[in-house]
Amino acid sequence: MRISRRAFALAAAAVLALPLSACGSGGDDGGSTDASGKVEGDITFQTWNLRANFKPYFDGLVADFEKKYPGTKVKWIDQPAEGYADKISADAAGGTLPDVVNVSPDLVAPLAKAGLALDLDKAAAKYKSEYLAGAWASHRIPGTSGTYAFPWYLNTGPLFYNKTLFKQAGLDPEQPPKTYDELFADALKMAQQSDGKVATLANVPTIEDFGRYGSQLMNKAGTGFAFNDAKGVELLTRYKELYDAKALDPQALTATPESTGKKFLTGAVAMNPGSALDLDNFKKQAPSLYKNIGITDQITSTGHVNMYVMGVMVNSRTKHTAAAVAFAHFVTDAQNQMSFAKKVAIFPSTAGSLDDPYFTKEDGTDETRVRIAAAKSLKNAVNYTPVLFSDQMKTALRNEVAKTLQGKESPKTALDNAVKACDRLLQQEG
Amino acid sequence: MADVTRVRRQLPTSPWLFAAPGLLVVGAFVLYPFVSTVVNSFTDRRTLIPGHFVGLANFRELIHDDMFWTGLRNSTLYIAGVVPALVVLPLLLALLVQKNIPGITFFRSAFYTPVVASIVVVGLIWVWLLDERGLVNSLLETVGIGRIGFLSDQWLLLLSAMAVTVWKGLGYYMIIYLAALANVPRELHEAAAVDGAGAVRRFLTVTVPAVRSTMVLVAALSSVAAFKTFSEVYLLAGPDGGPAGEDTTLVMLVQQTGTGLTGRVGYASALSVVVFVVTVALMLLVLRADRRERT
Amino acid sequence: MTVTEERVRTVPPAKEARVTDEHGRRIRIGELVLRYALLLLVLAVTVGPFLWQLSTSLKGPTEDIFGSPPGFLPEHPTLHNYQRVADTIPVWDYALNSLKVAGASVVTNCVGSALAGYALARLRYRGRGIATLVFVLAMLVPVEGIIIAQFTTMRELGLNNTLIGVVLPGCVGAMNVLLMRNAFLNLPYEIEEAAYVDGANAWQRFLRIALPSVRGTLAVVAIFAFMGAWDDFLWPLIVLSDPSKFTLTIGLNYLHGTFANDERLVAAGTVIAVAPLIALFACLQRYFFRGVGEGAVKG
Repeated sequence: MRISRRAFALAAAAVLALPLSACGSGGDDGGSTDASGKVEGDITFQTWNLRANFKPYFDGLVADFEKKYPGTKVKWIDQPAEGYADKISADAAGGTLPDVVNVSPDLVAPLAKAGLALDLDKAAAKYKSEYLAGAWASHRIPGTSGTYAFPWYLNTGPLFYNKTLFKQAGLDPEQPPKTYDELFADALKMAQQSDGKVATLANVPTIEDFGRYGSQLMNKAGTGFAFNDAKGVELLTRYKELYDAKALDPQALTATPESTGKKFLTGAVAMNPGSALDLDNFKKQAPSLYKNIGITDQITSTGHVNMYVMGVMVNSRTKHTAAAVAFAHFVTDAQNQMSFAKKVAIFPSTAGSLDDPYFTKEDGTDETRVRIAAAKSLKNAVNYTPVLFSDQMKTALRNEVAKTLQGKESPKTALDNAVKACDRLLQQEG
Repeated sequence: MADVTRVRRQLPTSPWLFAAPGLLVVGAFVLYPFVSTVVNSFTDRRTLIPGHFVGLANFRELIHDDMFWTGLRNSTLYIAGVVPALVVLPLLLALLVQKNIPGITFFRSAFYTPVVASIVVVGLIWVWLLDERGLVNSLLETVGIGRIGFLSDQWLLLLSAMAVTVWKGLGYYMIIYLAALANVPRELHEAAAVDGAGAVRRFLTVTVPAVRSTMVLVAALSSVAAFKTFSEVYLLAGPDGGPAGEDTTLVMLVQQTGTGLTGRVGYASALSVVVFVVTVALMLLVLRADRRERT
Repeated sequence: MTVTEERVRTVPPAKEARVTDEHGRRIRIGELVLRYALLLLVLAVTVGPFLWQLSTSLKGPTEDIFGSPPGFLPEHPTLHNYQRVADTIPVWDYALNSLKVAGASVVTNCVGSALAGYALARLRYRGRGIATLVFVLAMLVPVEGIIIAQFTTMRELGLNNTLIGVVLPGCVGAMNVLLMRNAFLNLPYEIEEAAYVDGANAWQRFLRIALPSVRGTLAVVAIFAFMGAWDDFLWPLIVLSDPSKFTLTIGLNYLHGTFANDERLVAAGTVIAVAPLIALFACLQRYFFRGVGEGAVKG
């Protein structure tokens, strides 16, 4: 109790005395930002739900690193998917964060602001050129000056569609929609032809959808949200039309990624976004559906598809900065990312890796076709989700979107409310 | 009662030694954290950012927070839906398993199975049962009613969650009633039977008055639990609390606002304090109503 | 709340061919049929969902699990799904951890609650009312609101990421203490009085006389403690980092995260999680039902 009160006073003083930008640069408490020392010591590396499928890969990775740097010892721990943010926040608040942590950009932001993530522009600037510029930038936090995680694997995916359902609705199964206008027109037709039984989409629009549709999302300075602009309102208005026509699944308001996947598998929904990973799943779970699956590109109005970025951050309080930085870099270097990519349908974030024949040469299988198309689109893909978009903000947006679809609020009012709520949460975060 | 007073004389230290382990654990891991929650409720603390004292700002914000009222409504509805069922159904069940007919031990134990299973497992089972393509809907379709979206409509979701709570609680309260029924003197029933009272009348005039105090206890226990409902709704409606968050309960709101890296610990603490105060008030209310009715 | 002595009377089944009730009266056939019909109906509602889960877990990959009308029995029963669960996560290691945690929790709860319950029920001292109030209040605190504070305390004690840290916050449950208190209150004073006259001190009276009389309630506490520790998810997740120390509920969560689309696999996981508890309960149920009678609280 005494300790925490003192920490409280110190931190309060720090917050009052320092301008905002300084919050991110706090590397104190035994940790150092200097990664140039000898690479040695025991470090802990935490991943996010990767053990079940990739244990041998990570065991090998750790062994290779320990061999390369004698005197180091890496302890690999993996956490289940559910509760990962809770786990990290308990560790962060309690000072037990592992040395090297698998994160996504939205997890890095609060950690960086609290001074718990090492600024890699300072500590690892020499590695910057090894990565795709866009990937490196995805762990920059507006309001701070550094970059707080190595980019790790990327993911994006095509849209899958059910050719049988397209045919039944009188749509050409070889001509899937390419633009939002076509998508909405097809969806309405599908609903009409099937008497509302077959929906085309199963998810309500998320922040990425607004971004892809051309909404601004945030103001230029990164100090406030702007997805209530004309484009945003337009997108939500059209989703409302879809929902009323049952072209957007009536259960979309409570959908989870698992439930929409299931709906697509069982033919209740005609289109589903996915990744190369899902192909395998379709083959196993629904062999009859697999034959009738069509694959098309993600729809976007901006020319950039959406991508998800995973990162590897270094705890700024680590006792072995050199070893932790070296290991985080090792995990994400071109060679190791490439071999990870060959194990599972993800994409490396290192410069040049996507030009590897593995991502460019067709071999006639669907898997390869999807992989090549995704790799190509990744070169100018954007991670639309703003790094400052916290869980609480996601909930606020989702609730307002739901209110619009239920007809309780107009699209404009709903998005204004959502922006207001998100701005307030943003300010409270300071 | 001279002999009783002699038992009461003790070495002064030993009672505290007996109670020490329990008090220590409860104090360190329940009450101390709770006190710090109360303290936090007056600050704007976040998960990674220590807060400042903000007075009653959190409580003022609560009053203007739509989600708070939604949560309060749902938690209150939960009491209204679950408590009557949990007071009456387990009593009937206890009457059913009270008679020692062959195999009754098996039935008693089997009825207790849902209590034993973890709520996470129960949630998974029911999500699968109530799924659009799950067993319940398959059965409904087979008998010609057609499929019902239990897990997509705001009210059906809340009802389904209540059903799961009742389902999981039946066995637990059945046992409590079973114990109480064993104490109902058989002569009462016989006298009533001689008077020609039917089963329903005997239930109302003999059984109910005899187990009245147990019914009050069950009402108190189940309404406190119902007000603090979290898992059932969380598992069936999802972390966001159903469409537009309309199924969120108060404790779910605590979890939503207070956890994660950007959690508003101060605000969530204020919510916890409200939940605690209402729970205590609820408990007192039930017990007081009982006392007044008895005198 | 006042508490009175109550017991579920367990009368041995009647030897005669006729079926009789607990008072030895004969039950009419019509009533008997009705009773069994109702019992079977309730059985279907309470146990049916578990059996459906078991059936799903035994269905092979080619079998339709969504069919209408539903197929209750697997056509080609297979243990393949269980094999896949075991291949994915070290089920046995996690089950062993769960067993350690649950076992320790049973011991600490039985000892701690019996001691505290005895102090609250039988010993007279100043502050007893407050001590009782402490346990009652502790029962009302919403756990979700205090979990981070609990974790911070645990870290200050240096017990995070240990199985002891998992056990500690629940090692003496407030509810269990109150259950024991009620059980002791139900014992007639005269029993201890004799021992007191013989010069036995509080400790001896507790150990030799009071404790043996509340064995049933101890069984209840044991089962509650075991259930609580075995079923807990959020706390072990927060306090443990090292996967080699994970308990079964966290481990099974990997299934949900990794194979969310495969109902058969998730079903196999839930069966693994619930089967040990049902087995344990089946073994202890006789003591359990007796104990609930002993400790029952009357308003």
